[in-house]
Amino acid sequence: MTRNALVERIEAETGIESRPRYSNQIEASVPRERIISFLSFLKTIGFEHLSNITAIDWIQDSTMEVVYNVWSYSERIHITVKSPVPRGNPVSFTCMGLWPQGRVYEQELHEMFGISFQGNPTQGPLFLHNWKDIPPLRKDFDTEEYSRRAYGYLEEEQ
Amino acid sequence: MLSSIPYTELRELARKDDCIQYELFFGPNFPGMHGNFGYILDVAGSTILRVRPNPGLLHRGFEKLMEQKLWFQNLSLIPRICVVDPDPNEVAYCGAIEKILGAEIPERAKFIRTITLEMSRMTSLLMGMGALGGMMGLYTVMYRMMDDREGLLSLFEWLTGARIYHIYNLPGGVRRDIPDGWTEKLEDVLKQLESNIVEWDRLMFENPVVQKRLSGIGPLTQEQAVNWGIGGPSLRATGFKADTRKDDPYAAYPYLDFEVPAVGGGDALARAVQVREEYILAISLIRQALKKLPEGPFKLDTGNPLKFIVPKGDAYNRVESSKGEYAYHVVSNGDLKPYRVSVRGPSLPGGLALCHEHLPGMLIDDVAIWMASLAICPPDFDR
Repeated sequence: MTRNALVERIEAETGIESRPRYSNQIEASVPRERIISFLSFLKTIGFEHLSNITAIDWIQDSTMEVVYNVWSYSERIHITVKSPVPRGNPVSFTCMGLWPQGRVYEQELHEMFGISFQGNPTQGPLFLHNWKDIPPLRKDFDTEEYSRRAYGYLEEEQ
Repeated sequence: MLSSIPYTELRELARKDDCIQYELFFGPNFPGMHGNFGYILDVAGSTILRVRPNPGLLHRGFEKLMEQKLWFQNLSLIPRICVVDPDPNEVAYCGAIEKILGAEIPERAKFIRTITLEMSRMTSLLMGMGALGGMMGLYTVMYRMMDDREGLLSLFEWLTGARIYHIYNLPGGVRRDIPDGWTEKLEDVLKQLESNIVEWDRLMFENPVVQKRLSGIGPLTQEQAVNWGIGGPSLRATGFKADTRKDDPYAAYPYLDFEVPAVGGGDALARAVQVREEYILAISLIRQALKKLPEGPFKLDTGNPLKFIVPKGDAYNRVESSKGEYAYHVVSNGDLKPYRVSVRGPSLPGGLALCHEHLPGMLIDDVAIWMASLAICPPDFDR
């Protein structure tokens, strides 16, 4: 199936608009309520390989985007699925029923961005130890200020 | 309970071992552990009951740091995410930037990138094979592999000025052209390395101890490997023919003639044989690229690196590393620094997720072999 045919099929069967980009990629934006059914549909049409799940903090828009990068071995096409969640209530749904390794990516996003995934039982610490500050990959986390507060190192230098 | 083996069955296995249950820290300070990472194992006798990965000991916040550095400054940071195979990081990052820019790099740069990527793959496969030998107590394998690796590291030093962290790729091409006499020396080194494969076979693949020791450890079917996000040689060792170099080609791979090896079998032995085949393929790819290496510029003029700006947009760019899919998702808001860089390492699905499925029921002695055969490299968890 060509990429344009895939874009049309995705829109026809899910109602989600997607657009081709670069040489072999597709990009789609999906509301969080529909994200799991959309990913599930993608898996049925050959997008079997979940490369990763990541997030982007659009602090000026008070939004965070959960980004799923999924690859189709049969079609040789990559799809980037972006699902916005409000910054004030960063909750989405787990995809670990589709891809078991999604559990770890979601746990990481919970720790680094504070995004919760309903249905994922492992939302505890993964990389950080005794972390009490705001999630560190959020844009309002100031590394320099944190270092000064935690270690007092920069103040001594000044 | 995350494993597919019921807990009661595991307890039964443990009872046969006739030992008490205890907790074992398998790393970070353990000779069989690759890098600053550990598994906390609940063990009865020698049988693992449960596993809790303990990552983050290497945490250096690469992704956060990259948001605070200029686009070009990040080039000195990213190779450190994978010590043994650093070049895929550079190419994945530069490729993502080039995608957003809509830039096509010069043909010569594509071929030079391919040559260095394959050299990097060879150094990593040698290290991986040596580590696997070491885990079985065959230290001779490790010493021989490290010796072979040396020839390639010296060539990297000549080309880039550095043995390990080459910082050689730039958005738009490579940092410097190939020096006179370098390609001839590379051909000599390849010839020597190729002749050494006979010795690998004697040491490893024809060794009945190795065959018995590796057979049956960490078996994966094609469906399981795909579903768990396992890629690279470990996926191809199940017989599944998938390779980014073929499926989503970059650099000069579209100009080269090659078949992706896929040995089948899916256990640690199959993965070891797969590494051998990948190594032979890398030698062939370098030779082809050297033969077809075009003349011309080796980089685009991207202006002052301190004022380099990437237009607003985002791109996901993947590269086939020696361990599987290395990818960078780069987001720019049109500033002097990236807005967000996310790294997809090939080890995370195996090391942090599949371990819950594979390790319970396994003997402690097999954990290091399991990790080495799946090429699990903890720095790409933490990044």
